[in-house]
Amino acid sequence: MSFLRNLFAKGAVERDLDQEVRSYVDLLTEEKIKAGMSPDDARRAARLEAGSVEHIKEQVRDVRKGSLLDSGLQDFRYGIRLLRRSPGFTMLAVLTIGLGIGANSAIFSVINGVVRKPLAYPDADRLMFITSQFPTLNFSKFWISPPEYFDFSEHTRAFSHVAAYTTGAMNLSEGDRPERVNTAYVTASMFDVLGVRPQRGSVFTADQDQPGAPPVVVLSHEIWQRAFGGDPSIVGKAVQTNGLSRTVLGVMPPGFDLHDSKSQLWVPLGLNPANRQNRGSHYIYLVGRLSAGMSAAQANAEMQGMLRQWREWVPQGHAPNDSTHRVQMAPLRDEVVGNVRKALWVLQGAVALVLLIACANVANLLLARAESRHKEFAVRTALGAGRTRILRQFMTEGTVISLLGAALGLALAFWGLKALLAANPESVPRASEITLDPVVLAFTIGVALLTGLVFGLAPLLHMGEQAVSLSIKEGGVRATSGAGRNRMRRGLVVAEIALAVMLVIGAGLLIKTFRNLTSVDAGFDAENRVTFGLVLPQASYPDSQRVVQVITDLSRRLEAVPGIERVSAMQGLPPMRPVNANDTNFEGYAPGPGDPPANVDYYQTVSLGYFDTMGIDIIAGRGFEAGDAIGGPVVVINEALAKRFYKDKDPLGRRLNPFLGPNTPMFTIVGVARDVKQGGLEAPAGTELYFNFEQTARLVGFAPRQMNLVLEVSRPLSSLMPAIRQAVSAIDPGLPIVQLRTMEDVVGASLARQRFLSLLLAIFAVVALLLAAIGTYGVLSYMVSERQREIGIRMALGAGNGRVVGLVLRQGIGIAGVGIVLGVAGALALSRITQSLLFGVDPADPATFAVVVAVIALVATAACLIPMRRATRVDPLTAIRAD
Amino acid sequence: MPPQPANLLQGTLDLLILKALALGELHGLGVSRRVEQITRGTFNVKPGSLFPALHRMEDAGWLASAWGASENNRKAKYYRLTAKGRRQLEAEIGQWKRIAIAITFALQAT
Repeated sequence: MSFLRNLFAKGAVERDLDQEVRSYVDLLTEEKIKAGMSPDDARRAARLEAGSVEHIKEQVRDVRKGSLLDSGLQDFRYGIRLLRRSPGFTMLAVLTIGLGIGANSAIFSVINGVVRKPLAYPDADRLMFITSQFPTLNFSKFWISPPEYFDFSEHTRAFSHVAAYTTGAMNLSEGDRPERVNTAYVTASMFDVLGVRPQRGSVFTADQDQPGAPPVVVLSHEIWQRAFGGDPSIVGKAVQTNGLSRTVLGVMPPGFDLHDSKSQLWVPLGLNPANRQNRGSHYIYLVGRLSAGMSAAQANAEMQGMLRQWREWVPQGHAPNDSTHRVQMAPLRDEVVGNVRKALWVLQGAVALVLLIACANVANLLLARAESRHKEFAVRTALGAGRTRILRQFMTEGTVISLLGAALGLALAFWGLKALLAANPESVPRASEITLDPVVLAFTIGVALLTGLVFGLAPLLHMGEQAVSLSIKEGGVRATSGAGRNRMRRGLVVAEIALAVMLVIGAGLLIKTFRNLTSVDAGFDAENRVTFGLVLPQASYPDSQRVVQVITDLSRRLEAVPGIERVSAMQGLPPMRPVNANDTNFEGYAPGPGDPPANVDYYQTVSLGYFDTMGIDIIAGRGFEAGDAIGGPVVVINEALAKRFYKDKDPLGRRLNPFLGPNTPMFTIVGVARDVKQGGLEAPAGTELYFNFEQTARLVGFAPRQMNLVLEVSRPLSSLMPAIRQAVSAIDPGLPIVQLRTMEDVVGASLARQRFLSLLLAIFAVVALLLAAIGTYGVLSYMVSERQREIGIRMALGAGNGRVVGLVLRQGIGIAGVGIVLGVAGALALSRITQSLLFGVDPADPATFAVVVAVIALVATAACLIPMRRATRVDPLTAIRAD
Repeated sequence: MPPQPANLLQGTLDLLILKALALGELHGLGVSRRVEQITRGTFNVKPGSLFPALHRMEDAGWLASAWGASENNRKAKYYRLTAKGRRQLEAEIGQWKRIAIAITFALQAT
């Protein structure tokens, strides 16, 4: 009870104690008067004997139960009162810390959502992603073939379930507008592997996953809502996909996805277990769930054993082995998160630096305030406040500032993240899982408390025991303030500048990387080019000649539109498309042990006029001609292929045998095209083989059903959109137009992640630079006001403006110089970490370093300007009289 | 020459205050004087130790306090032992005796 009384009835308890101690003094006085002292003497003696009333009270307070909490609240209230009294200081401090904490919370919430959170499946850490690897072909992560999937799932003990899948897209015609929808083709076992049950209806069984089984589909919650309005009787109904009618079996729960593919439809993969012939046909990925009690390491060991005996299961034909055709596994989460992890940690490191700089700044502000509060603390100490109590007061103030900062920071993080992700939706995987959840909240509060303690502690460091006694004396004669204190303030600013230098160098390197990437020659002209995708479903267009006819008709129709100059079609859209690695025989090429295997990275099928429309140079021979449609089999190769397989020989006229199906004839090379980037702008171009769309359909009955049209235009895309839509729907109103956009956007999208990273880092670097400038300004202007007297005396003794300016500038340049040297050293030390994120720029790039050093030096000088001016305006008379 | 005030042995202050109050309620100065008296002037409890101790013991429930009037009609806060305080006094006396005997034996040992 008394605990609560102490806490709540605080005023009453205080008054009570005060009265009690006073009555004690009164009684003592009375006693002394009785003993014969004069009333005045008695009172004086009593006071002397009793000691300071305040001291007694302070001691009583300290023994009280609840005293810690009580004085904590008192500090807190006192802290808030003080902060309210100096709103300028408070706002600056809260804003600074808010920026620092906000940046940390934002990046941490990205890490939390993308890297830390387990995938949204039960026991997701037991899921492994299984791929193949062909070391001699330089494919570190490749698909698996169906027979390999069956071999593996039949023999494994380490996995309770294994499933295969591939992803693609289908035309869903429901309602008035056809739509292109991401689709996952999965084995029936996939739902067991992932451990997710449908929200309504059922998923497909192994029987429904047989080739030739009646077509079925499972819908995602999102597409059920969007395309079918959440129809409660959807199960059992038929929907049209790729012109084929499929029965809806069920609806998955909200947010269900596989490998961040944003799949909306789930259809059976329909592998035939009896067909073990197509061993070379690698096109599926595997996901497995570890058996109970099995570790990933055990599963891996089992896999190594399998690789050694696979040949026994497959006496003939292509089989995995442990040298040239490995099978490997990694946790599914690592696969989904991919290489963004490192970039995110770099960002987190960057924002931690920003926060450190912010802390140093606020510590400096508090330090400056502590100087002016010297007397207050000295008085309180003399009145009996324990030293720990004063220390706690500092901490409480720091914590109040940082908690306010945290509130501001959370708001900044929330809105900032929303804006950033909206502007860069493709920049990180699992973006939908990035939220401000309790973990982020706890992180933010933890960071806030820690920062509060850190910069709350700073003033303590110099408020040593002697400082308290000194300050009373100093109060009388104000000399230049203690050297130790100044060293501390300068040290903080040096650290700020050093950290800012590191950050700005990092940002500079990334910006240079981004610039290098955008100026990479992709091998084609992106300017004034527009593209969109089209899929001609098998059900509506069973004949490949018909596919060619439709694309040709559409091209002619589009070319008739004013503003559209040329139209061609291509199978794969550069500069970023999946490798398809096709075995290809080159006539007269027998690879020796050290030679590259006879395999081509990319097969590309293009329509007539493609090289002109895309602006791809033909450097030898010719491109495709109208006569090729009915002529003999011809191909165009790229430079990389010529270099790899023909070295110094002339490839024109030589023959090769690709694999486009049974009875593929020999093709003659008629031209060499310049390399076009296909695996991303930062990767070297792979080998590429171009087929003529019009020709292969006739020769081997093969025409890709998924084509990208490319249009050379002389008007902006927005003004052409209606005409393009009209042309497509005139051909077939059921055909959805997929991603109509400019080629420049396509190239830009392939750089989304780099752009995101360099943009964020640039923002943080600017913030860091600003904070460091404020810090430098703060410490210099403080120095000027501290040394006003000295400056006044100097001026009185005849020092000119130049001398005074020199005094300030020397200080400023000294601080900046040391900071820059330390920062450059730090950046060099970190260069190994940044290396892998860079492209075409050395982590110790002298140009970047030079520019950054110049910028920082300039900013530091600018920060000196105002203090310098103030110093020259010191009026010697006022300055000397000031105290 | 008054006897030199001895340093209070840790823990003895509580015992002395409890003992002083066992005879009747007292205000702060009264406690101080009573302790001085019963220890023959050996212990002089200063307010800096007295009040923290009184408040601590009140919080522990050994003492109860109330405002009253002094002999000269001055307002003063009076402390008295509670039942819990009496039990505490018994306990502390027992403990003190054990310590005293032990120390005596220790000092007589040769």
